Formats: sequence, structure tokens, C-alpha cells
Amino acid sequence: MSRPPGLLYSVDETPPRAVLIAAGLQQAALMSTSLLYPIILGREAHLSPDRLLDFVSVSMLSLAIATLLLCTKSRFIGSGYLCPGGCSQLYLGPSVSAAHIGGLPLVFGMTVVTGILQTAIAPVLRRVRFLLPPEIAGLVIAVVGLFMAVLGVRYSLSEATSSTVMSEDLAIAAVSLTTMVILNVWTKGFLRMFCLLLGVAVGYGASAAFGILDFSTGMPSQGLPLLRLPSLELLQWRFDASLIAPFAIIAIAGILNLTANVSYAQRINDADWVRPNFSSLSRGLLANGIAMVVSATIGSMGINTYSSSVGLSAATGVTSRSLAYVISIVFALLSLMPAAAALITTIPAPVVGAAFFFAAAFVFASGIQAITARLLDSRKIIVIGFSFAMAMLPNTSQDLLAHAPGLFHPILESGLVLGTVSAVLLNLLMRIGVRQRVTMKLEPGHVDRETIEQFLSEQGGRWGARRDIISRAIFGVVQVLEVVDHGSEVEASFDEFNLDIRIRYAGTPLLIPDRRPTPREIVASEDGERLLAGYLLRQTADRVNCKASGGGTVEVQLHYDH
Amino acid sequence: MNKTALRMEDSHAGSVCILSIGGRIDSANAADLLDRLNGLFSSGEKTILLDFKEVLYLTSAAFRVLLVVTDEAERNEARVVLCGLAGQARELFEMGGLLEAFTVHGSREDALGRL
Repeated sequence: MSRPPGLLYSVDETPPRAVLIAAGLQQAALMSTSLLYPIILGREAHLSPDRLLDFVSVSMLSLAIATLLLCTKSRFIGSGYLCPGGCSQLYLGPSVSAAHIGGLPLVFGMTVVTGILQTAIAPVLRRVRFLLPPEIAGLVIAVVGLFMAVLGVRYSLSEATSSTVMSEDLAIAAVSLTTMVILNVWTKGFLRMFCLLLGVAVGYGASAAFGILDFSTGMPSQGLPLLRLPSLELLQWRFDASLIAPFAIIAIAGILNLTANVSYAQRINDADWVRPNFSSLSRGLLANGIAMVVSATIGSMGINTYSSSVGLSAATGVTSRSLAYVISIVFALLSLMPAAAALITTIPAPVVGAAFFFAAAFVFASGIQAITARLLDSRKIIVIGFSFAMAMLPNTSQDLLAHAPGLFHPILESGLVLGTVSAVLLNLLMRIGVRQRVTMKLEPGHVDRETIEQFLSEQGGRWGARRDIISRAIFGVVQVLEVVDHGSEVEASFDEFNLDIRIRYAGTPLLIPDRRPTPREIVASEDGERLLAGYLLRQTADRVNCKASGGGTVEVQLHYDH
Repeated sequence: MNKTALRMEDSHAGSVCILSIGGRIDSANAADLLDRLNGLFSSGEKTILLDFKEVLYLTSAAFRVLLVVTDEAERNEARVVLCGLAGQARELFEMGGLLEAFTVHGSREDALGRL
């Protein structure tokens, strides 16, 4: 594990108190944009202004609890990384459908079911990993990023009722976004660290200057007390068997989203990151499932790791887990202040738009990186390409989807859900006919490098193996075959975590030295070159073994962790 | 032409002869590299900069040729310098512990600035 350049505070480091508080507040400011989802849901459920404020306040409390559970580092629960919880847009589509059918009690009930399902999957996450390969997690995260950007643009324009107002909104969003970008790209230290918070502040200033800042719209008619426990008047649970399928699918989409976000958080803390730490993922998923149950039990909506927050920590280089405590305390306190909920409901839309748009860039890029880190053959390309198109469908072909049976509406209404369902199903379908063990016969006395490269590259693509691992394996095979006498067979076998190559040849066993031969030894004879070959194999493979079997045949085994 | 096949192209920057290499270097073509370098030394070149920017990977046979040529150059008061090592090629130099056996600079511009 090595420290990536640009990382100011790693996950285990605690920043100075001032930085800790300011960075925690910045994360809380960004996470408060996720409260827009309960606001949308509450409005769809026709809540009165009073009840809407309660709903937002309770959602703040559930963010506090979820963040604590998700980020904590322990043997049993928590990802151990700065992956704060946000109200998730994943759950918005099905939750709105549930709200239309049975009001918020049905949303809460089905959210509990989703949380229980995630909690149940957490211990066996490693075993079902073939269902959720990293490129699909990458796809989900890229689609989340894309929708965040679209949402950002919509919020930047949402107040537009005439060309004059639109230009004001656009100007506010542009000023806010430009501030964030300039501070993030061309400054260092505090300015870069707090680019989003400062951008939001500039956006507020611009909104005030344009005269569109109106704190009265979210206020109940009888005014607001300074402190108040959120009313639990909304608290009832209902269940509907017909909604189990869409919410189960959302649970899987949530797992993919969490997998991608926690993996991203792991990666930005480790320049040598090559594969997700599954213990951290499982504990994170357990935390998420429990957070979902708690959230729905106290009367809020579905929670997931908030991609924007991980994106912000990547952008600013502040990834300390300690921030989670600040975030949790901030949201726990804010949940007792009705004015805070009212303020959230009145945050200028263009400022929200700018924050979404800024964070979306980092989320989207992270998803694309996760997709392209794998070799993509036709099967993977079809899974990714078709599912990406399916994710776009609800936004582009609403008329077409309106004719689908009502049962499917919770799935068809959300691009994210539809894309995830498509990716998971197509991934299963495309596994048909993919052999996990392949063998290539070699012509005696002739090493055809192009054929070996093609064989391993194509097979790696079918398996969805990482490019860097396949490149190392190609080197390993070519290196072995050029120093042995008569290579006869190359066998490759793969699962998600291991790539094993066996090369059989007739001749004497290859020496695999622990010590690098000196330049003088290498130059002195071809034996020196063979020693270097063995040493390079030992260094480039995660395990190497060479043994003579019967009939004068030798087998070199190269193992690569994947 | 196969994109992994060995490609070599020489040019000059002042008194420095730059040999840009691409593709893979292994036992099948290491002798071609050796011949090309010997040819350049025979024509009077005293400083040869090997630009590895486009090299995919190199095997023990290639390392041996590079070591032989470097030794040969030192004996003839000439020198071989490497630059542009990246990706898997750089990893192999590092993993093989062979970076210190050669004079290695970062980019071509960096190398030319120091030569």
C-alpha cells in the first residue's frame, strides 16, 4: 500500500481540528443536497409544510446514523473508509411508486425489506461476486454520475419560467461552478480543500445579489421553534408483496453502488490498489443494510454511500475517517433544528445544480475507470453498452415505457434501476459458454508470440480479466517459452480472484532464483540469461513454481492474484 | 504489421543519436537490436539515446543485449542512455532490479537536456 500523490489526509489520519471541522462541514453541505430526494418524495406524498420539515429532519438524523455505521472501522460493521451515507436517488423511483400506492408508510415498510435483504447478502457478498463484477459496478457509478450531472443541469434551470429568470439562474450556477472548478484546479491547500463549500457560498451570494434568495417559502405558517424533536406522526409501516421485486432489484443496485463507492474510497487511499478489499465491502454492506432498516424505522427513505461525498474527498484529498464523526454530529444537531430543514428546502436550485454538476464529474470518471480497467470482449461490451442504453431509456422514451404493465413501472421509471437490472441479467446470460479453463497447443520448436498474445488477450477479454494482469501473464508465457527447449502446451484458468497459467515443455526444469543475477553473470553466458528469466518470472508473478513430471515433461506454474 | 512487433527508428539531436524503439523486445528480435546498435557505433556514434516510450515489454534476452551493448560502449568511450521507460517495460526494469545497471532519464527532453 503506497500513498497516492495529492492525498492530503489518508483515511487513518486525523487532520488538525480546524481542517477537520471545516472539511466535515463541507461534506455535510454536499450531503445535504441528498436531502432533495426526501423533499421530492415528501412532495409526491402530498405532505403538509410541517410534515415535510419533519420528514427532512428525520432524514438528517438517519444520515447521521448511517454515516457513523458506514464509516466506522471495526471487526463486525463499517467499511472503515470515508463513505458517508446519503439519501439515495436509487430508491427515489420505487419509493415514489410506493408512495403513490400506499403513502409513506408503504415506502418505510418496503425500505425495511430492502435493508434486511442487503443485511442478509452482506456475509455472502464474496460468494456472489460473480453476479456483480467490477465493470458493472463501474457502469452503475458512471450512470449515477451522469444522472447527477443531468440533475445538476435541471436544478440550474428549474426556476426558469422566462428567458430572463433562466439567464439569472444560469448565471448563479455558472458563478458557483466556476468558483469550484478554479479553486479545485488552480489552487492548493485550504482553497482546494473547501472548493465546494466556497462555491456554494459564492452561489448564495450571487442568489442574494439577483434577489432570488427567499427563506420564507419553506416556513410553516405558525413559524419555527429553535429546537424541536421531529414529530413521529408519519411513523407507520405497510408492506405490499407486489413491490418486493422492484425493491429487491433496488437492493442489488444499492449493493453495486456501495461496492463501487467503497472500492473508490479504497483506491484513492492506495496508489497500489488493484482489487477491492472484500472484508471492508461486506462490513460496509452490513452497515448499509442496518442503516436502511434504522432509517425506515424512524421514518425516512433509503440510504446508500453517497457517491458525491467520495468524489469530493478524491477532489480535495481529505479522506480522513474522522470526518464521519463531524458529519454525524452536524446532522444529529441539525435534525433538532427545524430551521435547518427549512433552509434546505429553500436552498437556491442553481446552487444545488452547480454542486451536483461538480461532484458528478468525479463520480462519472471513477465509473469509467472501473469499466476500462478490465479487458472488454464482445460479451462485456454488450453488457455495458446495452445496459448503458437501457439506463438512458426512461429519460428518452417515456411514451414507450408508459405502455408497459404497471408491475414493471417501478423498474422502468428509473434509468439507474433499469440499467442495473439489464447489466445483472445480461452478465448472467453472457456467462453462458465462457470456459474458465482453456488450453493452447504449441508447435514444437516454435514460439509464435503473436498467437500467444492473441490467445491470452482474447481469453482475458472473455473473462473480464484486468489488462495489467493479462499483460503480465503474456510476458510470463513468452519469457518461459523463449528459454525452454520444446514448449508443448499453455493452459490458462481464471476466476474473479486468480489467474493461473501452466506451461508444459520437454526438457530440464527452469531455475527460479531468489537472487538477481549480476549484470556480469547475465552478460557472461546464456545461463546468466536463463537465470535472469527465472528471476523476472519470480518478480512478475505472484507465485511461480517449476516441477518435473513423468516422461521428461516439465511444468511451470505461474499464479497471478486478480 | 503486428503492433507488438519490434520497431526501430533513429534520428539526431545535435551529437546525440536517438533510437526510438517500439513493440516488444525478446529473443526473436534482440539480435536485430544488437545489430542496429553495433551499426550505429560502427558509423561513429558516441552517444546513443534509446527511447523506450513505445516499448511494450522486454524479456531476459533483451536485457542481456542491452547489458552487452552498454559494456561494449564503455570500452569504446561511447555511452548508451535510456529514456521514456513507462508501463510494463519500466516495471520489468524495476522488478528485475536492473534500473541501476543503466543510465536512465525520464522523458526524451529530460535526457537531451542532461546529455
